Amino acid sequence: MRVTILPDRKHQDVAARTVADLLKALGMHSDAHLVIRRDEILTRDVRLREDDEVEVWPVISGGAT
Amino acid sequence: MRCIRCRKPAHVEVRRHRSAFCAGCYPGWFRTQVQRTIDDDHMFTHDDRILIAVSGGKDSLALWHTLLELGYEADGMYIRLGIADYSRRSQAKCEAFALKHGQTLHQVDLKEEYGFTVPMLRKEREGKPCAACGTVKRYHFNRVAADLGYSVVATGHNLDDEAATLFGNVLHWQTDFLGRQGPVLESTHPKLVRKVKPLYRLAERDTAAYSVIERVDYILEECPMAKGAKSLFYKDTLNALEEAQPGAKQRFLMGFLKQGREAVGVAREPVDLRECSRCGSPTTAEVCAYCRMTERAKQKLAASTA
Repeated sequence: MRVTILPDRKHQDVAARTVADLLKALGMHSDAHLVIRRDEILTRDVRLREDDEVEVWPVISGGAT
Repeated sequence: MRCIRCRKPAHVEVRRHRSAFCAGCYPGWFRTQVQRTIDDDHMFTHDDRILIAVSGGKDSLALWHTLLELGYEADGMYIRLGIADYSRRSQAKCEAFALKHGQTLHQVDLKEEYGFTVPMLRKEREGKPCAACGTVKRYHFNRVAADLGYSVVATGHNLDDEAATLFGNVLHWQTDFLGRQGPVLESTHPKLVRKVKPLYRLAERDTAAYSVIERVDYILEECPMAKGAKSLFYKDTLNALEEAQPGAKQRFLMGFLKQGREAVGVAREPVDLRECSRCGSPTTAEVCAYCRMTERAKQKLAASTA
């Protein structure tokens, strides 16, 4: 499926059966990202199709406290 | 996965609570968590005037949105740090939020009003841009709150922020900082406004999901000056642990606040605070840390342009 990784909107084609598999394939922690398809946030167990287009949003911010 | 409230398909999983919510039920759960935190830690009441330190990021804008939804009187304050395009975009997000919700947004412009920017401080304090930025933010948020009569300053620090700070302080056994870390910093001087962190029990992912569902438009990219910050490395390390042991971050932080903090000795703000000879802000020294830092930066700038 077509994956767009924010904030730079880099595109990547990834084969994954579920959202959990997708994050694992990308080497990303589930607590550090949201996976969004057609404006909806997806839970880890959601099955993905080959023709899906999903976005991965990072949620981590750092710096001054 | 199904929503634990209405059994519809879930959108947001909260693994550490073994819960999941649909987009309809999630904002209510989120706001209940914030209200419970405010009440449990006696942060403020509906009689208080709250100043929210906003950066344009998800946490501070989600906090502002939540407090307004909960019926609190909460204004925003944004500091123009002068970090090129990043500052301009984050300022625009804050202004758009204030306009959309009909709220007051106070602003301080470091360059126009004080003659320096955060990137200039970075040159002054090599390797510690975030520490310098933190000093600037704490100083101005407190000063504006005190001058305008706000009773409390609220920041968007979340569970991940607090766990990462704790991790760093434990790693280096900074017992002074450990004794100071907590969700409420009481006022110990008439010019020192109380500070609270109403999101400290909610994870970074929780606030991002709230912002997406409630359509809070925030700046997604990282501050360019935070690249390589230790806090980001600590968060990554803790998230690796969380992946294997859901709830690890929460147990680490809450366990510290319940048991560990007493063990290292809860620090009290010094009672012999005096006023800075330059700016009048509360400090333990003749000249406060903010004035010392900015004076050095300005001197260095003058020397380099002479």
